[in-house]
Amino acid sequence: MSKAEYIFNKINKTLEWFIIIIFALLVLDVLFQVISRYLLGTSFTWTEEFARFSLIWMTIIGAAYLNAKKEHLSMDFLYQKLSIKNKRKASIIIEIFIFLFALIIMVIGGFNLVYTTLHLNQLSGTLRIPLGYVYAILPLSGILIMYFSIYHISNFYSNKNIV
Amino acid sequence: SETKVLYLGHTLPQTHPVHKGIIEFKKALELKSNGTLKVKVFPDGQLGSERETLELLQIGSVAATKVSAATLSNFVPEYNVLGIPYLFRNKEHQFSVLEGKVGKTILEKGSKFWLRGLCYYDAGSRSFYTSKKAIRTPEDLKGLKIRVQNNQMAINMVNSMGGAATPLAYGELYAAIQQGVVDGAENNPPSFVSSNHYEISKYYTLDQHSSVPDVLLIGTKFWNKLSEQEKVWVQAAADESAQAQKVFWRESVEASMKIVKDWGVEVIIPEKSLFAEESKNVVIEFVKKFPEMADIVNQIKK
Amino acid sequence: MEVISIIVLFASFFTLLLMKVPVAYSIGISTTLSLLLNIDKMPGLTTIAQRMTTGIDSFALLAIPFFVLAGEIMKQGGIANRLINFAKSLVASLPGGLAYVNVLASMLFGAISGSAVAAASAIGSIMTDRMEKEGYPRALSASVNITSSTTGLLIPPSNILIVYALASGGTASVAALFIAGYLPGILLGFAIMGYIAFIAISKGYSKGKRSTLKEVWTYFRKAFFSLLLLVVVVGGIVAGIFTATEASVIAVLYAAILSLIYGDMKVKDFPSILLTSGKTTSVVMFLICTSMAMSWLFSFEGIPEMISTFLLESLNNKFAIFLAINIILLIIGTFMDMTPAVLIFTPIFLPVVTTLGMHPVHFGIVIVLNLCIGICTPPVGTLLFVGSGVANVSVTKVIKSLLPFLAIMIAVLMLISFIPEISMFLPNLFEL
Ligand code: NA
Ligand code: NA
Repeated sequence: MSKAEYIFNKINKTLEWFIIIIFALLVLDVLFQVISRYLLGTSFTWTEEFARFSLIWMTIIGAAYLNAKKEHLSMDFLYQKLSIKNKRKASIIIEIFIFLFALIIMVIGGFNLVYTTLHLNQLSGTLRIPLGYVYAILPLSGILIMYFSIYHISNFYSNKNIV
Repeated sequence: SETKVLYLGHTLPQTHPVHKGIIEFKKALELKSNGTLKVKVFPDGQLGSERETLELLQIGSVAATKVSAATLSNFVPEYNVLGIPYLFRNKEHQFSVLEGKVGKTILEKGSKFWLRGLCYYDAGSRSFYTSKKAIRTPEDLKGLKIRVQNNQMAINMVNSMGGAATPLAYGELYAAIQQGVVDGAENNPPSFVSSNHYEISKYYTLDQHSSVPDVLLIGTKFWNKLSEQEKVWVQAAADESAQAQKVFWRESVEASMKIVKDWGVEVIIPEKSLFAEESKNVVIEFVKKFPEMADIVNQIKK
Repeated sequence: MEVISIIVLFASFFTLLLMKVPVAYSIGISTTLSLLLNIDKMPGLTTIAQRMTTGIDSFALLAIPFFVLAGEIMKQGGIANRLINFAKSLVASLPGGLAYVNVLASMLFGAISGSAVAAASAIGSIMTDRMEKEGYPRALSASVNITSSTTGLLIPPSNILIVYALASGGTASVAALFIAGYLPGILLGFAIMGYIAFIAISKGYSKGKRSTLKEVWTYFRKAFFSLLLLVVVVGGIVAGIFTATEASVIAVLYAAILSLIYGDMKVKDFPSILLTSGKTTSVVMFLICTSMAMSWLFSFEGIPEMISTFLLESLNNKFAIFLAINIILLIIGTFMDMTPAVLIFTPIFLPVVTTLGMHPVHFGIVIVLNLCIGICTPPVGTLLFVGSGVANVSVTKVIKSLLPFLAIMIAVLMLISFIPEISMFLPNLFEL
């Protein structure tokens, strides 16, 4: 295994555990909300906010993981008609588009969003955490997506057999 | 000079008295500026929730909005003061404070957070409504699950009166009341009607526990692009609309209360001081937590 | 509103889609290009970033990962087989019996998993071979499987109805939508069976052997706890024990306990199930992220108002407007996936139809059924691709035998559009 591949796999493993843990917390949090209301007769004010923020984190970090695995929903009926050579070209162009979106919206736009909300010190309603921390997942995931795109493109150049 | 377009997003329906106030603002501003300043209003939350629209003002893609002071308090801490239960003695007292020095100071505090306050709109007083059990004294609140906005002050208030504050998304509330997931909620008469919650509530207890106003705001990113003359027009148009809006509000409260009574909801007028007494702790704790705001509270209370 | 920015939006969206750029990114990139024509760069980029994040900031949406997870847990326990056996014991003895089994199993499985794609792949992979042995062409089996899988999107729980509740801005509750979906979903399933009866009798497809009552009882008992999940979830919502979101997490708890008791699963299996479900969730939810940005762009450009003014003023007849909206949605459905289509077009059409007196819950059923047809058609037809894939037939072959089924779906759509009672009878009965 090459060093690049080793790092790629390590990052993926980390992401997998991140998704598993956050999903498990999400289930426990909402279960706790229902149970506390019925069995303990009280509502905790933070459970809803925690669940909402966890869902945002899981979705956006999950999107990066899907990029690593190339498992986003896409339409391939034209692509399937291409020759192997053209398929490779198309795949490289797709990765470039994904790279640019991640850079421009998720990293640059996302970073400005994080900067603005942290700078202006906006706090969440009940957990009282800065909203900027919630938004930080966007540039973070964007950087990962950019890395995955570069990894995939370099694989297209180093290995002539994959499409 | 060229025409500037002011995008204004808010979350209320077009029948709402506050929307009518905003339309007054639009008319006044377009008239004063001879059409060089245009206002495009997006009602019904088309551009996002209150919190999201405030962020868009800070980001600079939307120019202005109208939000509840409760939502604003997560951005500009001074607005927390206006959420204190039984802060104002009556409507006259409320608007003499808001339109006086204290109110203006709070509006200006927003500029530090890129959200410049223009004026206050009347959003009346919030009261409890319940589907099964009537609330006549604070005793009756004991153990009742009352939906509140996701805001610490509102949560503390209901809990200190003996209820079980349950923050729930507004969109899930109708079904939640109907199915008994919560026992009740709290709001002002026009919202009680426009949300159709009166259809599934038996009792409306006019305890008027809080009078959180609505606020018209402009993002400083947009404000700073205006000329001195244009700034004067915007402020004057806002002030005019605030006066007109108070009339719309009064009419709407009367019409709403008629709808509520005609539907058969029992309207209860309780002894307000009993509820005020129960909620005293909220103020004490608030001042303990935000000592720098004690001054504003005292100025209002005196 | 600038015409040029609309052209840029659609041209770039289609180009990217055809190039096999993931749908979520195609939506995001075309939104970015279009918005930057109207607004300063930095605020524009930041706004899209903000809409992507806040677009999924909703407690109601949590039901999606939870129903996905509950479905995944149950899938691991061989639930598809149990449902097929139960369905077979009920309807296999009729002419065209195996085709009925396919429809009924898809209805039950779609009902439990809340996902049409899951139903199509789970049922289709098992049924196509069995049906071929009894003389059904594979393309026909695929068509039956594809169209009947859409019933699971109407019969609760249904992820797309949760998405619609979000798009309706809370005017339609998830609870009411769930209850409303039953009759239309069952009607659609029966309509498909009716067409099968017609071909089965005319082509003389074989009947299976009749099951004894004892066999039906045995298969029912084996499928019982899977079916009971539906009662717990929907019953709990209707009885007011919990909200739709809370019901979904109860479904997870139920499925987990059941599969542990059955011994189908061990605690150490949970991490991989969480990962699989997390991935499925992210596919849907990331689509929601960028769709919400595009929907915001449409609002910002005043498109909902423009279309509503156009419809209300140029067509002064209520039925003509409903029909026009149905046709527009059918066209949209051919090239757009369901989730973005619901999120982007609900805010545009809902105000129009409610002005004309249509209930938001009724419209939810109409828009979902409409887009169900779209996911069975090219060029963008998730279900068509999955269904052809698991049946191992080319999409072109399937399309031919699919056409009459699509006609049936359109006929059902018309009934459901113009007879509100089919959707509204149950919600009115339960006062939801
Ligand atoms: Na379903
Ligand atoms: Na399609």
